Amino acid sequence: MLEVRDLSVGYEGGDVVHDVTLRVDDGEAVMVIGSNGAGKTTLFRAIVGLLRATTGTVRFDDRDITAVPTQEVVRLGLGFVPAERHLFPRMTVHENLALGAYPSRPDPETLAMVMDLFPRLAERRRQLAGTMSGGEQQMLAIGRALMAKPRLLVLDEPTTGLAPKLAAEAYEALAVLRRRGLTVLVAEQQVPLAMALCDRGYVLEGGVVTKEGSSADLADDPEVRRAYLGIA
Amino acid sequence: MTERFAHATGTSAVGGVEERSARPLGGLVIPILAVGAALSLVPLWLGDSRVMMGIAVLGLAFAAYTIGFNLIFGSTGQLFLCVGALAGIGGYGGAILADVVGLPIVVSIVLATLAAAVVGALLSWVAVRRSLGVIFTGIVTLIFALTFENLLLGLGELTGGESGFLMKAGKGTWLRAQIPPYYLMLGMVLLALFVYGLLRRSHIGWAFRALRDDEVAAELAGIDVARYRIYAATIGSAILGLAGSLLAFTEGRISPTTFGFAEVDVVVIVMLAFGGIGSLLGPILGALTFTVIDELLVEVGQLRVFVYGALVIALFLWIPRGVIPTLGDLRRRRRPTRDS
Amino acid sequence: MTASILDGIVLGLQFGLLATGLTLMYGLGGILNLAYGQMAVISAIVTVSVMDAGLPVVPAALVGMATGAVLGWILDQTVFRPLYSLRGEARVLLSLLLSLGVALMIDGFLNWLFPLKGLSLFIGGGAIDIFGEPMRRGSLLASAITIVAMAALVAFFRFTTLGRAVRSVIEDEEGARLVGIDPRKMLRLILVLSGAIAALVALTRSMVAPVDVTAGFGITVFALIVTVVGGLGSITGALAAGIILGIINAIAASAIGTFMSLIILLVAAAITILVRPAGLLGVKE
Repeated sequence: MLEVRDLSVGYEGGDVVHDVTLRVDDGEAVMVIGSNGAGKTTLFRAIVGLLRATTGTVRFDDRDITAVPTQEVVRLGLGFVPAERHLFPRMTVHENLALGAYPSRPDPETLAMVMDLFPRLAERRRQLAGTMSGGEQQMLAIGRALMAKPRLLVLDEPTTGLAPKLAAEAYEALAVLRRRGLTVLVAEQQVPLAMALCDRGYVLEGGVVTKEGSSADLADDPEVRRAYLGIA
Repeated sequence: MTERFAHATGTSAVGGVEERSARPLGGLVIPILAVGAALSLVPLWLGDSRVMMGIAVLGLAFAAYTIGFNLIFGSTGQLFLCVGALAGIGGYGGAILADVVGLPIVVSIVLATLAAAVVGALLSWVAVRRSLGVIFTGIVTLIFALTFENLLLGLGELTGGESGFLMKAGKGTWLRAQIPPYYLMLGMVLLALFVYGLLRRSHIGWAFRALRDDEVAAELAGIDVARYRIYAATIGSAILGLAGSLLAFTEGRISPTTFGFAEVDVVVIVMLAFGGIGSLLGPILGALTFTVIDELLVEVGQLRVFVYGALVIALFLWIPRGVIPTLGDLRRRRRPTRDS
Repeated sequence: MTASILDGIVLGLQFGLLATGLTLMYGLGGILNLAYGQMAVISAIVTVSVMDAGLPVVPAALVGMATGAVLGWILDQTVFRPLYSLRGEARVLLSLLLSLGVALMIDGFLNWLFPLKGLSLFIGGGAIDIFGEPMRRGSLLASAITIVAMAALVAFFRFTTLGRAVRSVIEDEEGARLVGIDPRKMLRLILVLSGAIAALVALTRSMVAPVDVTAGFGITVFALIVTVVGGLGSITGALAAGIILGIINAIAASAIGTFMSLIILLVAAAITILVRPAGLLGVKE
């Protein structure tokens, strides 16, 4: 479904991510793990078109989307939830969700599904997004992305700034979505949570993919265990 | 020497590259003297015509305005949209002090210049204290300029309102003669250039460039950004006030439009944009060019404003950095070794 | 006193509506359009011209608004085009300078076309009494039209998908792109809309008092003051600030005179910037 090939991307000072190749198949859940500053956010921003890649290609459903602007990528069925969430703070929860379906009117079924997945959003539909807690904002960000009925959901560190309990809740919701057939690509520093969700994973270090494999294999890898699982 | 000059101005607009060495003062004095020598010949050519000499004096006043604006905006990024108003403080201040209060002319000029400097410093202080940024500084100073214009109109008993202020002081002296005012103005412009050039070369100039390129980095490097901004605004405003004051005493009649936003600020922006923001001789080139263009456009009447507008757009779209820095770039591109 | 307050409210409503156009362009695209007043004046001139040619008032007004909209579209497609590759303050600054150029071009052209400043637009009517005060019919109609336009504008931004999409770009441009909104298209829409708003304000203004062909810069300055006081980018702020400043202006004008009333407005704007840089209703970033 998503195929990233030899992607290099960076900022004015030079590339941060070098020759990354990764793949997400239909129905899969895939994680990209790595420490702070490894280039996960840069990589994801390039995938959705918020950053222009220096070299390499991104294909989504066999269509080259490397140079397609974000707003069009989203309409192709690729939803992105950034770590900073980028909600509309002075709009209500409902308005945020409704905009998720842009340019269509919000589909009542999808809206019900999101409210069902995150009951807190249903309680607070008239509240301004900017006044909600971090956990609620994360739910809203995921909910807003779901309103466009994406086939692939890309999440950049969905647990940023969340208490452990809320982080676990967010991943429970993702697990539900997975079971319903949604394809997921997630970047995560809280590796155990991501491992429980995902089939496969890539380890990104210094902008380069250093390891890849099934979640089980990665969990057995001594280096991964030491660096990301806190097990000597 | 001119080569080095073009080189220096070229790099300074990019910022940072220019060395902060104690180059011999000749690098500064010689181009200024050359400009002075060239401009001092103008009366030989135009001296017969009172009208043309009046235009030349006005052109020099605009050169001084542009130098002052360049010092404030070009060096420290404070968008002062009140060039005319600050010059007007010098002009009206001098006129009122001399005619109404009855002070000697020189004292009036000095006090009026100081008044402009103080107002400029105050505006800058407010902008810096409230960290207003380019746009809000522009809006606040524009508001100040419009307030000043309306004050001139509203305080008609003191200022003569719309019809203007006819000055008694200086009447019948050399200040109103045909040629001497030109040299007075020229001296002032050269002085302003010299002050600006010295500032650019000094420690302060180095700080100016640093903070224009990257304010945060400059602050981290220990530059007191606020203080330098206020310095620049004070000195620049003094130049504006002095120019306005001298213009008033040599013209003998001033009106709100002499110092209006549309009549002064817009023109100064065009002149500076044309010559090159942050360059030493850019303001002179800009003022000269547009004084000539202005004369050529007299015949098209109101379409002059139209042409001005078109020029503003063309300038900012195609040579946003101005003629002198752009030429400097071309020169260096041809000889890349110079920069090594 | 009552009369000047009523006048002030009429004027304030128009100020407020006028400022929404400016504030939207800034909030959405970081564009400070100094040619805004000139857009209004041209639209008004076109309206009067087609009326002279025999068109009734209402269709003529629509033609005028369409003119404003087209002007906005032309700006977007031509002079403002290079702006879109810039970000932040650089974009605001260049927009200010380029639109200043446009304003000069239009002013110069209009002054050349109508050299005697003779053309003033006035679509007036008789007077009727309100609260025992004589109010011109034109003033009342102007207020009614302005209020309707404001209500329509507010409803558009609150309740329609497109209106919400515009607001979303003001709130978080990246967020807007993430839900599939193209900020460029929204900005184009707003430039067109603001042109129509400028036209409408010029037309309603001309029902109350003559609008001179040289009025462009003054209109821009008023709009700018209201925008700044209301908070750059805030629609409700612009509407509220417009009404407040309109009343202040009218009272000051009748009490101390025109020049001083303008000074009071300017000082009010300066104080607002210094005390609350984000404006009355603005939110600090």
